[in-house]
Amino acid sequence: MKNILYHILLVLGMILLTACEKEITVDLPPGKANLVVEASINQQFPNLNYVYISRTIDYFNPDLSLNGVRNALVYITPGTIVGNDTIWNESARIQMIDINTIPGIDLLLPGFSGIYFSTAISPQIGIPYKLEITAENERVIGYTTIPKVAEIDTVFWKQELDEKNGDTNMFVTFKFTDGPEQNNYRLAIQNGFNPYLLGWGSASQFRMFNDGFLNDGVVPYSFFRPFNFGDTLSLYLTSVGRKEYLFWESYARAANNGGPFATPIIVKSNIQGAIGSFTGYGVSFRSVIIR
Amino acid sequence: MLRVLLSLFLIIQAINSNAQTVSGFVKDSALREGLAGAIVKTIDGKKGAATDTRGFYKLELNQGLQTLQISYLGYVTQQITITLTGKNIKVNFSLGSNAISTKEAVITGQRNNKNVTSTEMSKVELSGEQVKTLPVIFGEPDVLKAITLLPGIKSGGEGGTGFYVRGGGPDQNLILMDDAVIYNASHLLGFLSVFNTDAVRNVEVIKGGMPANYGGRLSSILHVNLREGDEQRYKLNGGIGLISSRIMAEGPIKKGKSAFMVAARRTYIDAMVKPFLTEEQKSNGYYFYDFNAKAHINLNEKNKLSFSGYFGRDIFNFKSPTNQLVKFQIGWGNAAASLKWFHSFNKNLYSNTIFIYNRYDLNNKFEFGENGFQLSSGVEDLNIKQDFYFTPNKKHSIKFGGQYIYHTFKPGIATGQVGTITINESINKQYAHEWALYAMDEFKLGNRFTFNAGIRAVFFTQVGPYTERIFDSEGIEIGQGKTYNKSDVIVTYPGLEPRLAGTYLINSNTSLKASFTRTFQFLHLATTSGAQFPADLWVPSSKLVKPQLAYQYALGLFKNFNENLYETSIEAYYKPMYNQIEFKPGANLFFNQNLENEMIFGEGLSYGIELFAKKKFGKLTGWIGYTWSKSTRQFDEINQGNPYFFRYDRTHDISLVASYQFNKKWNGTLVFVYGTGNATTLPTSRFAYSPGYDLIDNEPKYTFIDVYDKINDFRLPAYHRMDISFTYLQKQTDKFESSWNFSIYNLYNRANPYFIYFVPDLEELRIKAYMVYLFPILPSVAWNFKF
Repeated sequence: MKNILYHILLVLGMILLTACEKEITVDLPPGKANLVVEASINQQFPNLNYVYISRTIDYFNPDLSLNGVRNALVYITPGTIVGNDTIWNESARIQMIDINTIPGIDLLLPGFSGIYFSTAISPQIGIPYKLEITAENERVIGYTTIPKVAEIDTVFWKQELDEKNGDTNMFVTFKFTDGPEQNNYRLAIQNGFNPYLLGWGSASQFRMFNDGFLNDGVVPYSFFRPFNFGDTLSLYLTSVGRKEYLFWESYARAANNGGPFATPIIVKSNIQGAIGSFTGYGVSFRSVIIR
Repeated sequence: MLRVLLSLFLIIQAINSNAQTVSGFVKDSALREGLAGAIVKTIDGKKGAATDTRGFYKLELNQGLQTLQISYLGYVTQQITITLTGKNIKVNFSLGSNAISTKEAVITGQRNNKNVTSTEMSKVELSGEQVKTLPVIFGEPDVLKAITLLPGIKSGGEGGTGFYVRGGGPDQNLILMDDAVIYNASHLLGFLSVFNTDAVRNVEVIKGGMPANYGGRLSSILHVNLREGDEQRYKLNGGIGLISSRIMAEGPIKKGKSAFMVAARRTYIDAMVKPFLTEEQKSNGYYFYDFNAKAHINLNEKNKLSFSGYFGRDIFNFKSPTNQLVKFQIGWGNAAASLKWFHSFNKNLYSNTIFIYNRYDLNNKFEFGENGFQLSSGVEDLNIKQDFYFTPNKKHSIKFGGQYIYHTFKPGIATGQVGTITINESINKQYAHEWALYAMDEFKLGNRFTFNAGIRAVFFTQVGPYTERIFDSEGIEIGQGKTYNKSDVIVTYPGLEPRLAGTYLINSNTSLKASFTRTFQFLHLATTSGAQFPADLWVPSSKLVKPQLAYQYALGLFKNFNENLYETSIEAYYKPMYNQIEFKPGANLFFNQNLENEMIFGEGLSYGIELFAKKKFGKLTGWIGYTWSKSTRQFDEINQGNPYFFRYDRTHDISLVASYQFNKKWNGTLVFVYGTGNATTLPTSRFAYSPGYDLIDNEPKYTFIDVYDKINDFRLPAYHRMDISFTYLQKQTDKFESSWNFSIYNLYNRANPYFIYFVPDLEELRIKAYMVYLFPILPSVAWNFKF
């Protein structure tokens, strides 16, 4: 709603033809350097099981890199739920390896740092997982579970000619089945030919939604903005836990925060000892060529 | 009980019946409306009285020949000689307007040393005509913008109509239009208020020392009184501005007995800007409109009925330029109606009985092909007020009465059809009774002391139907709690609000005043922003949400100079506030059943000193006000529990208004305002997140997220600007008047901060800060007419 109103105001601002801006100098005090963690596991794509570790930096620090933290000890351990307790299977603990220790990776993926990865991990739906990190004498711990997958049933589209520029607009809708339980979704959309995502951040767009309005039924999800004729569209409809959803929902608002009505948004971390999230994704994947 | 009280007062009145009373109304001869604050006094000046808000006066005089003088700023003074024979008589006066001085921008309602002698502190009044003489933006005179030029009342910032009184929040101001509550007083997202100045008779603002007949909000009362309508002849007023036009018609229904007033306004901003918009933007449309209607009938000398109504809406339409299936409409606005019965029991006792309905609602319609849904929210009140005014003798002026409001809160209703799923969801409605009983007496002790002692008893009861819904720490509904049937009491908050004010008259031109108030507020605005949005919700006090509470202590020295030509005052106030409400950082307020658990509760403190000097008469009139103040908030969950500056804390605030009457045709007004920059929260650090590798561009992708350590720790640059306006009276006859208002807003082109944003510059490898400012120097013109 606030975004809509902000756009109204932008239109009005343009209407008034008076809004101006100028660069100013802002003197901000230095902030504390906190650890930041993004840990992701899923049941389908091994390339999307990774942990990213970095630190916050002063707001006006000219460093615009990932600022990854190296030489951390990172472990992911599966568990078993027994009654109200979780028993962690230490023998199945997997150590995630700093990819920058792999010879040649700096040349292959320049600028990528602070990423920890392992091909040995094979997460499963419904299993609890524990994340343990020791980095620069700080300890981080987090928990997640991969929820049940909501399968994408169908993907279809409608073709319309844009008379203004001669393009063919492709309006895409997909349907999925939402179960009776409370479900939370993070939808990643990859537009364009790309064999796989190297990190969730390489997706083109994201959407956050839950079943507060539309529960227990076949749900159509329509993209209001059209794609182009011939586009390759990859949809990753992921089910996430509630805490993970609250983190990514607050993250989405923080990432799009700005304008006159912006309020400070603090992301709702679901890990202890750092800012960030440990998220188990139950992925339903569908890739189509729209034509 | 009421009968017993009335009988008691009638007995008291009988005891005093030997007094010879002269009473009546002082009215504007053209508008036929009562003049508030007109002076009726004996020619020797020994006895006199000021008219009340209806233009009513009452004098106790000796028998024999008496010469009365009736005066009111901007009107021709009258004298009349009457013979008093022992019987109480009624004498009404009609004063003719003085064309020159009615154009002066001065505060009305205080013609002599009333500001010194009365117990009122912190009360100011502006007339609709005065608002029109002030410099305006886009040719739109605005009541709410005008009052922010008064000391102690601060503007929310560039372009907004939000106002903040003595460190209070925007929801702590009770905004009334002819006694009906206006929950969202803004059009155009705050750029204009809902008040059509053509329909406005006057505006009263009480920012402290709130008398016992008012309550419900912690910080201020803003009462906008609409015009009554001319009982003698038909008139047409209007104005054409750059972005909207307005028109007002009034006239007699039955000459001398009843009258009507209707007014309308609409913006044509949508039509005017279309040529400047891109093709994509042209599919959007925005406009607002509002209607006012008022009518009254004098049934007889003792009874008068009046009706007032308002309806206004803002409409925003959107059609996707790329997807014809997608469209939505957002509409929001207020509706209000009040029916008022004035009844005079006798010369000492009269009453007002008012029935009021008011509503604020927001409706959103979304459509995408065969799917669509509607979302609506709002608040609705049914309200009855009963006020008695009793003057048993010269030394006592008593008011007593009560008020009852039935509130209905509709936080959100969603209906529609999406795919196979039918949407029929709603956030629980809430219902509440709000009661108040009050009594107050303004009385004199000797020649120097005057006191106003009052007490207001308030009760707020949340009632059913309501079903408690229980949520876990992650915001998931895990069950239902207790169910309350209709009228079942969920929670009750009683409260006593003592109101005390006193004046010590040092001499006829100097007084020392003090006041103390305790106020509760049972309604709260759910917003996370400084501006008021259409989607902001009003929520009631409940089991979890305790009523807000404030105390205010004020002390003032008032002194007039040069036979009341100049008024000056210095006031200090101290205002602690409790049960203040904020929302958790990042809280989602939209369609959230679990809204109460997003709230956090804390305290506030505000204190300051206000200086005020005013020149009331002559070619040059105006005022200058200076405020030094500090306002903080403290919440355990915010800013590590440490107190932080309220967003609108403003250490220094200056307002200067000067109006000069060059001749009968030309009047000029200059306005200068200065305020310390608003306190704002800026990020202290950032981090990169959600990395991915773009195999096509062969580089990493990630997003920067801001980190905030301290709240409102940064000050925006100071706000200051100068405006100037000239009003040219083009033609003035008995039947037609037209004038032009030429304004220049922001005369020296000050870039005042609206907001700051940051952009990483990947080429220069640094973060750049930009300040957006809305209005550079802006000339505008408006044409106003009267038939």
